Amino acid sequence: MSAAVGAERPQVVSHVQQALSYTVFDCKWVPRSARLLCLGSAARGTGLIQLYELHGARLELLREIEKPKPIKCGTFGATSLQQRYLATGDFDGNLNIWNLEAPEIPVYSVKGHKEIINSIDGVGGLGIGEGAPEIVTGSRDGTVKVWDPRQNDTPVANMEPVQGESKRDCWTVAFGNAYNQEERVVCAGYDNGDIKLFDLKTMSLRWETNIKNGVCSVEFDRKDINMNKLVATSLEGKFHVFDMRTQHPTKGFASVSEKAQKSTIWQVRHLPQNRDIFMTSGGSGSLHLWKYEYPAQRSKKDSEGSEMGVAGSLSLLQNVTLSTQPISSLDWSPDKKGLCVCGAFDQTVRVLIVTKLNKI
Amino acid sequence: MPVWLREHSWRQTLTAVFLSLPLRGARATPANIFCSEQYLKVSIPPFLFEAILYAPIDDTNSTAKIGNGNIFFTLYKKEPAMWDSLTLANADKEKLQYLRENAVLKAHEKAKEETEAKKITKQEHKKYALEATMKLEEAERKRIEDLKEKERQKVAKELELWKNQQKDGDKYKSIPIKGELHQEIEPLKERKSEKMKKTQIPNEGTSKTRLKSTKGCHGSCSIFSQNLKEEQLPSPRAAATIKVNFTPRVFPTALRESRVAEEEEWLHKQAEARRIINSDLSELEDLKEEEKNPDWLKDKGNKMFAMGDYLGAVNAYNLAVRLNNKLPLLYLNRAACHLKLRNLHKAIEDSSKALELLTPPVPDNENARVKAHVRRGTAFCQLELYTEGLQDYEAALKIDPRNTNIKKDAEKIRHLIQGTMQSS
Repeated sequence: MSAAVGAERPQVVSHVQQALSYTVFDCKWVPRSARLLCLGSAARGTGLIQLYELHGARLELLREIEKPKPIKCGTFGATSLQQRYLATGDFDGNLNIWNLEAPEIPVYSVKGHKEIINSIDGVGGLGIGEGAPEIVTGSRDGTVKVWDPRQNDTPVANMEPVQGESKRDCWTVAFGNAYNQEERVVCAGYDNGDIKLFDLKTMSLRWETNIKNGVCSVEFDRKDINMNKLVATSLEGKFHVFDMRTQHPTKGFASVSEKAQKSTIWQVRHLPQNRDIFMTSGGSGSLHLWKYEYPAQRSKKDSEGSEMGVAGSLSLLQNVTLSTQPISSLDWSPDKKGLCVCGAFDQTVRVLIVTKLNKI
Repeated sequence: MPVWLREHSWRQTLTAVFLSLPLRGARATPANIFCSEQYLKVSIPPFLFEAILYAPIDDTNSTAKIGNGNIFFTLYKKEPAMWDSLTLANADKEKLQYLRENAVLKAHEKAKEETEAKKITKQEHKKYALEATMKLEEAERKRIEDLKEKERQKVAKELELWKNQQKDGDKYKSIPIKGELHQEIEPLKERKSEKMKKTQIPNEGTSKTRLKSTKGCHGSCSIFSQNLKEEQLPSPRAAATIKVNFTPRVFPTALRESRVAEEEEWLHKQAEARRIINSDLSELEDLKEEEKNPDWLKDKGNKMFAMGDYLGAVNAYNLAVRLNNKLPLLYLNRAACHLKLRNLHKAIEDSSKALELLTPPVPDNENARVKAHVRRGTAFCQLELYTEGLQDYEAALKIDPRNTNIKKDAEKIRHLIQGTMQSS
C-alpha cells in the first residue's frame, strides 16, 4: 500500500465520473479543447454521439446527436485542426465523416463493409505527420480498407482474404510509419491471433505473425515516425511489445510479452507526450500503466550475420481498478499530459488524471 | 498427627512484629505459608505451626523470608501498639476453629478479588492496546487519503488553469484577427466552396466559411499558409488490393490459448468417428493411412471434379462410400460427377440416396438438399421424364424460394410439359 502511494510513482486520480444511459463503445478527446466525445449504442438500437465539456469537477453535455445505426468506433486522426471532423464506423459497416457543427448530413459516407466496423484509425491530420489524410477500417467481414476522404465510394487499399478462404474477424487496425509523404503502414489484428503488417507504399504484406490469442488492440507508439514500437494486446490477459526498428528476414520483429491481467486486455494507448509510456485497460475494469525500457543495444547480429532486433523490458508503474466491467475504450488527451478518458461497459465514462508523469 | 513447631522466637516494635521460626530441616516454599489478618499458619507436612495473632496485621504488606532453615516473618501491625504476646492467650478450641475458618474464607475471598482485579486490568490493557493500534492505523489511512486528496486538488486546479488558458487563448486570437479577416474572406469563399464536396445552402455557406475562418486561426497563423499546405497534399493513392491468407482455424470463435487443448481433442474425436471401424475390408490394408479417411477421399474427389477428371472423382467417391456409407455429401458429389458423365440413372440413384441420408430436413442441410433435388431434377429432364423433373425442381424451390436459376429452369420445364401435352 505504501509503495503505491510512494512519492515517485504516478497516481491515477479519478477526476470525474459520468453515468450514461447507453452503452459507450468509444470515447475520444476533441483535439485542442477540453471537450470529449462518447460514441455508442442506445437501447433502442440507434447510434449516439454525445459531446461533453469538462467543467471543474463535472462533465457538461453540450450536444447529443442520434444516428440510425449504433456507432462502434471513431477517430479524429485524418482531419485538419481547423475542421475537426469525426470519422465513425458503425454496426452496419458504414464509414461516415461528420462535421459536428452540422451533423445531419455526413461530409463523407460510404458503405465500406458488409459487417460491423470493429476498428478505425486515421493518419495525416491534426497537423501531425505528412502525406494525404487517410482512414483505415477493419471489419468483421475480414477485410481491412483504407479510405481517402477525397475519393468517394472506393477504398484506396483493400486487404481482403484470398478467394475461397474463410474469413476471420478483423478486430483492430492501426496506422504507422507515416514519416514522409510516401511511406505508410497499416497493422491489423484478427480474432485468430494473426497480426499482419501491410506496407501501403509497395502495396504488399510486409510481416505477419500469430500470437496464439485473438488480438484485441494494436497501436504504434507514434504514427508519424519511422516505426519504432508496436504494442498488440490480446485475450487471456497478454500483450506483446514488438521492436519495429529491425526486421529479421525469417524471425520478423523481436518482442517482449507480459501477462498482467487475468482477463482480456481491451485497449492499449500510448501517452502522446512520451512514447515509452502506455496504458492497458482490462476486462476486469482495471488500468495498468507501463513503461518500456530499451535494451542496451537494440539490434544484434545472428549466426548468419543478419540483423536481429533485441526487445527491451517492461515495468509496471501503476495499476488501479475502476470498475467491475471491462474498460473498452481509452484515450489520452493530446493537449494536457496525463489527462485521459475511459469508457466502460458499466455505462460510465470517467475522466482520469495520471500524475507525476514528468518524473518518469 | 502433625508435629507442632513451638520453638519460635519473636520481638516487636511499635509498628511491626518480627517472628523467627526454625524449620528443623524441613524445606519451605511460599505455598506452605498461609497468612491472613489475624491468623498465621505454616504447614510443611508433617510439621505444623499456627498462631492466632494478638492483633490484626496488614497481611498484604507483611513479608516472609525463607532461608537458612528458618522463616523470618515481618508482620506490619494494623494498629501501632505493643502486644502483650504474639498469640491470643485465652483461645479456646471453638474460637480457634472459628478464627481458622474465617481466616481461610477471608483468604479465599481475597484471592478471588485479586484474580478479578487482575482480569479487569488485563482487559483494560488489551482494550487500550487495541485502541492505540486502531488510532495508529487510522492515522496512516488518513495520511494516505490526505495525500491523494492533495494530489486530486492540485491536479484539478492545474486542469482548470489549463482549460482557462485554452479559452483565453481562443478569445485573444479571435478578436484582433476578425478585422483582418473581412478582406480575406471574399476570395476564400470561392476557394472553399469549390473544395467542399457537398453543396450547401448559399447563406449558410457564407456564415460557415466565416466561422471556419475564425476557427482556423487557432491552429495556424494565417489562412493562406493552410491553403498552401492543402495544395501540397499528394493525390489519393492508386487503388490496389492486397490478398490475405489467414492462419487456418476450424472454429468460428476467436483463438484462446486456454481452449486450444479442448479444441484439439474435439477435432480428434470427430476425425476418429469418421474412420473405418470394420477391419474385414482386407484389401484396404495396403492403402496409405490417409486413403482410408473418407474425408480425405472426399477432398480428393472434389479436387478432381474441379479439374474435370470426373472418372477419377467417381473412383475416389466410391472408395469413400465403401469406407463410410453414411455421408450424404459423398453421394451428392458423386451424383454431380455422374451428371457430367451423363450416367443419368446413376445420378438419380445417388441423389436419391443423398436425400435419404439428409433426413431430418433441417435448415443446416438446406443447401445440400437443394443441390440434391436440382441434380435429380436435371437427370430426370435429360431422360425426358419432365414431370418427375418438375417435381424435384418444385421441391428445391420450396426449400429455397429465392433462387432465380431454379425458378427459371422450373419455368422452362413447365413450358416443355405444356408444349408436349398440347401437341400430344
